[in-house]
Amino acid sequence: MGNGPTAGQAARGGGAEVTTPKDPFGEFAITVGFENASAVLAIAGEVDRFNAPELGAILDAVIERHRSVVLDLAELGFVNGWGLGVIAARASHLRRSGGTLAVRSPSALVMRLLDITGVAELVLVDSSGPPRCHLGAEQPGEIAAGLLGTGPYHLPVHVGRLTAIPADTDVVDGALRLVVALARATVGGADGASVSLRRHGHLATVAASDQTIADMDASQYATGEGPCVDASVNGRRFHAESLGTETRWPAFTPRAQALGINAILSSPLLAEDRPVGALNIYSRTAMAFAPKDQELASVFAAEASLILAGAGVDVTDEQLSSRRNEALAARRVIAQAEGVIMEREGVEADDAYAMLCDCSRTSNRPFRQWAQDVVASTKRPHLDPESEPGQSHHG
Amino acid sequence: MAEISAAEQPADLLDRYRHNAGLSHGDLWLRYFELGGMDDALELEAILCGALEPSAHDREVIAHALNERFVELGGNHPVPYSESDAGRRRNKNGKT
Repeated sequence: MGNGPTAGQAARGGGAEVTTPKDPFGEFAITVGFENASAVLAIAGEVDRFNAPELGAILDAVIERHRSVVLDLAELGFVNGWGLGVIAARASHLRRSGGTLAVRSPSALVMRLLDITGVAELVLVDSSGPPRCHLGAEQPGEIAAGLLGTGPYHLPVHVGRLTAIPADTDVVDGALRLVVALARATVGGADGASVSLRRHGHLATVAASDQTIADMDASQYATGEGPCVDASVNGRRFHAESLGTETRWPAFTPRAQALGINAILSSPLLAEDRPVGALNIYSRTAMAFAPKDQELASVFAAEASLILAGAGVDVTDEQLSSRRNEALAARRVIAQAEGVIMEREGVEADDAYAMLCDCSRTSNRPFRQWAQDVVASTKRPHLDPESEPGQSHHG
Repeated sequence: MAEISAAEQPADLLDRYRHNAGLSHGDLWLRYFELGGMDDALELEAILCGALEPSAHDREVIAHALNERFVELGGNHPVPYSESDAGRRRNKNGKT
């Protein structure tokens, strides 16, 4: 086995790094170290079918000598079925022989994969590692690294796991109010915060730290402009550093100044990659938000987005719900067309589907249009229940 | 240690097609649902990432949902359909 010596070297300890140049997709690396009686394997990058065997070989070598093994997944971006299979097999093996396999600091995504596949039941989940920021895909990793690595700052409360809550509007609003409270308390310079969400086609404030802040949001909805509106529509951050010199929102800016607001920072909230609202932070002081505070606001916006993603359909915009209705209608037509073909051709449902699929593919016409044509081809002017099957009477 | 044949495709290949098609997981699920797919969004995500094995029919629906998107983008059905279904279709087409 090509990687035997490497695995052996890793298992002997002291810390060894193993990389797999063959893997074309992810920067995969394993570092082996020891804490007390446990062997700790830190896995970085992505585990896929190319490098999963490597992980398995190293795990096997470590398990030969250690009953307590910890997988540090803080740097693991993704693990697919192959990697999960490798982990599950070693976890079962260790369990049978009286040992334990623990995973430490998995990201929300990796934890979800462990949950879905049942691997979570085979391993101990150790969340005592360093806290992690859950950033949206669009945000650079350096933000988390910068926030966690340079200062005494830590996220005061980790709210990422709230994504497991059911899609109940009250619960979602409650979670968003928590985010608002945390943002208000921890972002430097913040005098108030709010969350705006698009519901039924209109922006509405679902959480605000006080009435002035709610009025600020309402002024933006009324004038149709402002950082909150722009962040909610464009899906990127809008920062009004000093309203005294702000020119982008001429109708809204004077209203904000009249209420004593001088700086606004609006970070977008995303659900299924679409902007659906904004986390707004207001300050009475111009230039109140330092770069660190701006990044912190992004972290809270990402947390709020996770809550929305976990809550699912109820908080996304009406464009999406109309798209969902269209999908339902198309699905119905396709099922009808399937039935027509089953009857005409004397085939099973899957075959009828495959035939429609073939027509769509060879003609480059969407499946839905073919299905509509098939259903339309059955239409007759009148259907008389007393007539023979297959006959029609023209009135 | 498992041997990997070069002919086999990575389990998460479907997710790479999704990524290349510029579809979010939610977008693809909606298309898959529209075409009659029965799995929920989380199951579809697990299939795409190789954590769940799809049925042959599901594989077909996912491939077609992706291919319709690629056709919209000017492509020509880059996602392979499952062999068994293609063979079955050929037989059926030959018969009728």
